Amino acid sequence: MEVWQKVFLKDAEFVQSTHGKVGCVICHGGDSSAEEKEIAHVALVIDPSETSCNTCHKDIACMNDISLHTTVSGMQSALEARGGNLEEGSPLATAFENHCAECHTSCGQCHVSRPDETGGGLVSGHEFRETPSTQYNCVACHGARVGDEYLGNNEGIPADVHWTQATMTCTDCHSQELHGSGQLVDTRYQNPETVKCEDCHQDVWTNTEDNPQHEQHLSDLSCQVCHSLAYKNCYNCHVAVDEKGIPCRTSDPSEMHFEIGYNPIRSSERPYKYVVLRHIPDCADTCDYYGDNLLPDFNALPTWKYATPHNIQLNTPQNESCNACHGNEDLFLTEEDVNEAEKEANRGVIVEEIPSP
Amino acid sequence: MRKLVFIIAGVLLLVLLIVAGCVAVSEPAPGEEVSTCVTCHSDKDLLKQTASVVEEEKSEETAGEG
Repeated sequence: MEVWQKVFLKDAEFVQSTHGKVGCVICHGGDSSAEEKEIAHVALVIDPSETSCNTCHKDIACMNDISLHTTVSGMQSALEARGGNLEEGSPLATAFENHCAECHTSCGQCHVSRPDETGGGLVSGHEFRETPSTQYNCVACHGARVGDEYLGNNEGIPADVHWTQATMTCTDCHSQELHGSGQLVDTRYQNPETVKCEDCHQDVWTNTEDNPQHEQHLSDLSCQVCHSLAYKNCYNCHVAVDEKGIPCRTSDPSEMHFEIGYNPIRSSERPYKYVVLRHIPDCADTCDYYGDNLLPDFNALPTWKYATPHNIQLNTPQNESCNACHGNEDLFLTEEDVNEAEKEANRGVIVEEIPSP
Repeated sequence: MRKLVFIIAGVLLLVLLIVAGCVAVSEPAPGEEVSTCVTCHSDKDLLKQTASVVEEEKSEETAGEG
């Protein structure tokens, strides 16, 4: 996208809209009577989400203030759980600010423009879109894993059935949860508003008589264990230095795997014994550029994490028959699948004994 | 009587001047502001000439899989 396109209004119709009638400077500052760009842009606020949206949309803006999208508190809590010190000015806080915090979003970066982290730019003039664009907003950030899975961009893996058969967009399932629940949480799974398969597929739970597999496994297995395919796993995220000497993020090439393991966040809401696990890119020395041993208790959390792959199918290789899964070591995360340095961290999710045929 | 007519006329004139003055200095209603923002940001050619990138001290190699 060219720089000029990012700020192009396309037409003046926006001025007649509810937001347009408010006027530019009320939200963006600057001087609307100046004819020189430099003067007009003095004290310009490019993204006024933080200070302006809550004037009219107080409830939702306040709730969103502490959502995962805004705070990226999921990353912070994971680093703290691994012994990281995120107090202001600490080496890890600096690393977080430089390389992690930029992945947050704001009201405007979902409802008006593309996310900053992906280059920004107005999506459709300055139109305020109540429903963010799957292509330009959601997948712009959640593209490499969820987006590619859902749209079938991983070679040999079909797109999600919700896309191929119903062309459902992200917000058809994920709506209110995107603004959080009004409480600070560590993962999206702690948000009571987070969507679940059974929100739509209630009959699966109420009518198991015709499906012995459901009758047997509904409370033991997450839906994805039987209904998802191989998904992307990421490894070895590091802060490196580029040719100009500027610190940058790097990671090893991702790998496609399907791994069933023990549920690391088992609860009454998610009681399953077995779930699918995705390898996250963190490693013990991810932030060593900023100091030694910044995550001294790295093994406190597993590196194979509860996952909900977005390539759902009715029929999968593992649900073809009982023994397609039972006794099939290839499907389970075993000791052999885990890097030696990460075995202790993943002790709780590694399957010690494969269900017998 | 004549004096009274002059006083009333004077007061009326004063009121008219004040009203006219208020209208003249009142702020434009929201959306009616004289704005160069919309004029410039709707002009493709002008934007092409004037749009510039804000340089950031950030690595171009920075990339992640989200």
